[in-house]
Amino acid sequence: MTVAKPTPSQTVGPFFARELIWNDGGTVLFPGHGDRITLKGRVVDGAGAPVVDALFETWQADASGKLPAGGEGTRPYGYGRVSTGADGGYAIDTVMPGSFRGPGGETYAPQISVTIFARGLLKAVQTRVFLAPLDAIKDDPLARAIGNPERLRTLVATRDPGNPKIYRWDVRLRGDGEAVFIEL
Amino acid sequence: MSGTLADVHPPYLYPEYKSTRLRAPAQPPVRVAPSPLEAAGPTFPKSFVRDSEADLTTWGKSAPLGEKMVLVGRVLDDAGRPVRRSLVEVWQANASGKYPHPVDDHDAPMDPNFLGKGQVLTDDEGRYRVVTIKPGAYPWQNHAFAWRPAHIHLSLFGSAYAQRLITQMFFPGDPLLAIDPIFNSVPEAGRRLLIADLDLEHGVEGVALGYRFDVVLRGPRATPMGV
Repeated sequence: MTVAKPTPSQTVGPFFARELIWNDGGTVLFPGHGDRITLKGRVVDGAGAPVVDALFETWQADASGKLPAGGEGTRPYGYGRVSTGADGGYAIDTVMPGSFRGPGGETYAPQISVTIFARGLLKAVQTRVFLAPLDAIKDDPLARAIGNPERLRTLVATRDPGNPKIYRWDVRLRGDGEAVFIEL
Repeated sequence: MSGTLADVHPPYLYPEYKSTRLRAPAQPPVRVAPSPLEAAGPTFPKSFVRDSEADLTTWGKSAPLGEKMVLVGRVLDDAGRPVRRSLVEVWQANASGKYPHPVDDHDAPMDPNFLGKGQVLTDDEGRYRVVTIKPGAYPWQNHAFAWRPAHIHLSLFGSAYAQRLITQMFFPGDPLLAIDPIFNSVPEAGRRLLIADLDLEHGVEGVALGYRFDVVLRGPRATPMGV
């Protein structure tokens, strides 16, 4: 039961790099092994211009689809955090997540939960990026909720033809090809 | 629940805050239940945070300039339960309204004794305590005489990734609040929730004023376990 109103969100602003960005924050740790992959791409705005000052965070299951509890040294497992660069680019070096099941038995396709904060975003945008082709994610709960394949395609990372370990995913915040964002 | 969220959270598009015009998504978000992953969240080991990181005034060789203050508060979920051992990160400008950031072009002095970054884990009652200095206001380019009211940024994780929140805390009685589009993007019912209370009890007599800022993190609409 809700007894208290949630604290409103405010923008992360442009000045967080020295405070929130970690050395190697783009290298995601796990207790076990897995196929190392890189998720990379660009964040662009409604005019197609690079978003050069976004805080890009990822949270994902391990290679076997398990929740990554705990951490190593001073880092939590399964969590990545970087800022975008001058070209709007980000890169997350991680493992290929396994698929996993929900409490109702539904199957979640291999995916990474993504949260983006930025100047001009009064609240974060959240979404999930799929690391499997469109025809392999049809039964995923979010894919079902979206329905429209054109919109769903905005959440599907594509394998780099020159390097199968690289998955490319560009995020358009607004306008043509705007990524699907979610409210949990 | 969505009614509650709409009551307090700002919209994505708030044209008076110019940067939202090209960055705000135009499509409404798709509502889905949190995945089992999002109903949990990253575990920050105790060693992630050093005790000294809760005091932003001891980072340099000597004390930073400015009005020393103690910020206390509790992190709660929307049912009023404490959010225990969760990470709270804070960052802020120095007393003259300057960030140590290359794109901060405000012509105000850096303070060699102030970095403006701290972090703390909440205790078993959801409490946190940070010692810092009151940040300064600073101009920005949004409109003529646009000055951000003094504020401290807070980043919170809660106990589920669905609770992830970044917000700003403001000071009571600040006349700049009335002309700040970022603060005023929040529906009126939510604005009060962003303003700290003067809390003398948690200050240090003769040394620092105390302020209280409680943070309420939304619970996921329905957890996958149905609890």
